[in-house]
Amino acid sequence: MRDAQHHRGMLSLLLCVVSIALPRIIRADACKDVSVQDEMASVGQPTAFNCIYPLPMSGKVNVTWYKFPSKIPISKNIRSRIHQEQNWILFLPLKGEDSGIYECDINDTNICHRIQVNLTVFNKHWCVSGHSQLNVSDDFKQILYVGKDDSLICHLNFPNSFVLDSVKWYKDCKEIEGERFISREKRLLVKNVSAEDGGKYACQARLTHAGKQHTVLNSITVNIAEKVQNGGRIPKIIYPKNNSIEVRLGSALIVDCNITDTRDNTNARCWRVNDTLVDHYYNESKRIQEGIEDYTVFQEHIFYTVNITFLEVKMEDYGRPFTCHAGVSAAYFILKPPVPDFRAYLIGGLLALTGAAVSAVCVYNIFKIDIVLWYRSAFRSPGTVEDGKLYDAYVLYPKPQRESQSHDVDTLVLKILPEVLERQCGYKLFIFGRDEFPGQAVVSVIDENIKLCRRLIVIIVPEALSFDLLRNMSEEQITVYNALIQDGIKVILIELEKVEDYTALPESIQYIRQKHGAVQWSGDFTEQSQCAKTKFWKKVRYRMPPRRWPPSPPVQLLQHTPCDLTASSREASVGVLTP
Amino acid sequence: MNDKVLSSPYPVLWQIQDVNHQVWVLQGRTLKAVPRKDHLVPVTVTLISCQHMETLEKDRGNPIYLGVKEPELCLFCTEVQGQPTLQLKEQNIMELYRQPQPMKPFLFYHDRSGRTSTFESVAFPGWFIASCSDGGCPLIITQDMGKAYTTDFGFTVLS
Repeated sequence: MRDAQHHRGMLSLLLCVVSIALPRIIRADACKDVSVQDEMASVGQPTAFNCIYPLPMSGKVNVTWYKFPSKIPISKNIRSRIHQEQNWILFLPLKGEDSGIYECDINDTNICHRIQVNLTVFNKHWCVSGHSQLNVSDDFKQILYVGKDDSLICHLNFPNSFVLDSVKWYKDCKEIEGERFISREKRLLVKNVSAEDGGKYACQARLTHAGKQHTVLNSITVNIAEKVQNGGRIPKIIYPKNNSIEVRLGSALIVDCNITDTRDNTNARCWRVNDTLVDHYYNESKRIQEGIEDYTVFQEHIFYTVNITFLEVKMEDYGRPFTCHAGVSAAYFILKPPVPDFRAYLIGGLLALTGAAVSAVCVYNIFKIDIVLWYRSAFRSPGTVEDGKLYDAYVLYPKPQRESQSHDVDTLVLKILPEVLERQCGYKLFIFGRDEFPGQAVVSVIDENIKLCRRLIVIIVPEALSFDLLRNMSEEQITVYNALIQDGIKVILIELEKVEDYTALPESIQYIRQKHGAVQWSGDFTEQSQCAKTKFWKKVRYRMPPRRWPPSPPVQLLQHTPCDLTASSREASVGVLTP
Repeated sequence: MNDKVLSSPYPVLWQIQDVNHQVWVLQGRTLKAVPRKDHLVPVTVTLISCQHMETLEKDRGNPIYLGVKEPELCLFCTEVQGQPTLQLKEQNIMELYRQPQPMKPFLFYHDRSGRTSTFESVAFPGWFIASCSDGGCPLIITQDMGKAYTTDFGFTVLS
């Protein structure tokens, strides 16, 4: 009859009573409050509450229900609408006036515990149009997982003396039918749950107690949840990757272990060294510590980060694996000292080499003449040269009109040149006007002898007249011609005075000057200028062929080179060299 | 990666429900599994794995500490009247985590089977955290894996 009442739909909204906020009166038995629970139930429903003490009791336990503040226990008469049975209090059915505080005292041999139930009774309307839903309800909330077989349950909280006869299931006020739904005892099995299975459900259970039938109606709001990815139990360590890390000795270091794991996994995460937790391994020094774990929850997984901190990297840390564990997964890193930067070394080396080469070139350019001369004196080729030449140089010089110039040229050519090049340096010169045999034809002398010379020394006097003269001289013409056409003979131009206007020179001389350069006479005609070590003579000697004709051993040569030679010794030497 | 919702240096926070659509709630100092309802606030469970795996049995599951966030309580197992019992104790879960030795009374082996998990007491092997299938009763530890109790629970990470 009660269920008929339910089926008809319900009465108007009537939320009755609330808890009574009266000050507690301490009872004589002074039971200890254990817990307070708030309960909501709707009018007309058979309702029951159990009184359970959470911990095991010593002996026989006596449970008594009271309605606060009454000290008279609730009736034990099973015919009574409200009565207590074993540890239960039963409302068969519940009425609006039943709201209030109910207490059960649990009497052990010498201890009394009290559990309080704060009951709120309200009117519920099920499947009646025109009645809006309540703000609060005792609707059950259940979840079905989409794509799977799942089940709903009809919660029936009654003592064992209640026998379940049948359960009917409703969705949106219509009885549920179809192959996908199977009602089995208190459960409704739902096969292959889909999103459409969400909504308002109700279960109606018929129970028999003491020969009377009772009907319970539970409203259930069913939500559909996405299929939970059963992502496996093995967490994934993203970093480290059994890699090595370069770190300087004595520096501080923090390394993160990044892990992804499924949301419902409870794998432990830690850093270990020598299979010991780092915090315990470095328990004394605390030099290496595990950091606080951080995590971020994502749709499918949780991303964990736990770091390891080195306050100071020591020698013993190198080459030792520090392992991050997450469940059965593990990955390590190894520290190693930084490798010197080869690129920097390479670039540095190349720069140094380049610098050295540039400096060497500069030094060579500056000291080229000295180096070459030193080399020639140090590594002189022994013996005579088989090049068919008889002389080292042919000396060509003008005959200036002016007395002073003529004197200078003669001094240079006939005195100083032989003195320095022949006597001091051991060269053999052919000087026209000194070395030709008397009676020889001029042209043949030049033609024959110039072929026997390795160099041609041309003395230039910057005087228009002398140029003209030079130009007109057949000797000059032949010589220059030979010098120009014969490949291999090099010309040494000696300018006796500074030449102001080169265009005034004969074109042949200009060409030679351009090709071979010129040496400017820088000395005077004193004995100081007759030293082979002066800048001028070095330049000339540099242009002269390497001296291969050994007139005397090097020791003797050294004796020949002093610059303050006496006239007598010079004469003697000249005597030796002159043919 | 814009669904980052939580970042904390503390244990992961969960809600736990059983296969009978019941959630864990805290009443006084008692943990209960009760049917999920609108007005009901499930307890926020703290969970952190124990790092001392080597001293514990393997293949029984991950050893974990379980607790309640507010107030700060931890689940532990002890004998009362000669019977293994599940209790709550005022205890910071991170202090347990940092202990140099595994704190066995507070430890549970978490084993997963499909979508559900079991929590077996490390101190009392063979005893599992259980809720009664009809609801309203406190969580216990039991050896009885029968009909009256359910030892299968599901996790929901709070996010």
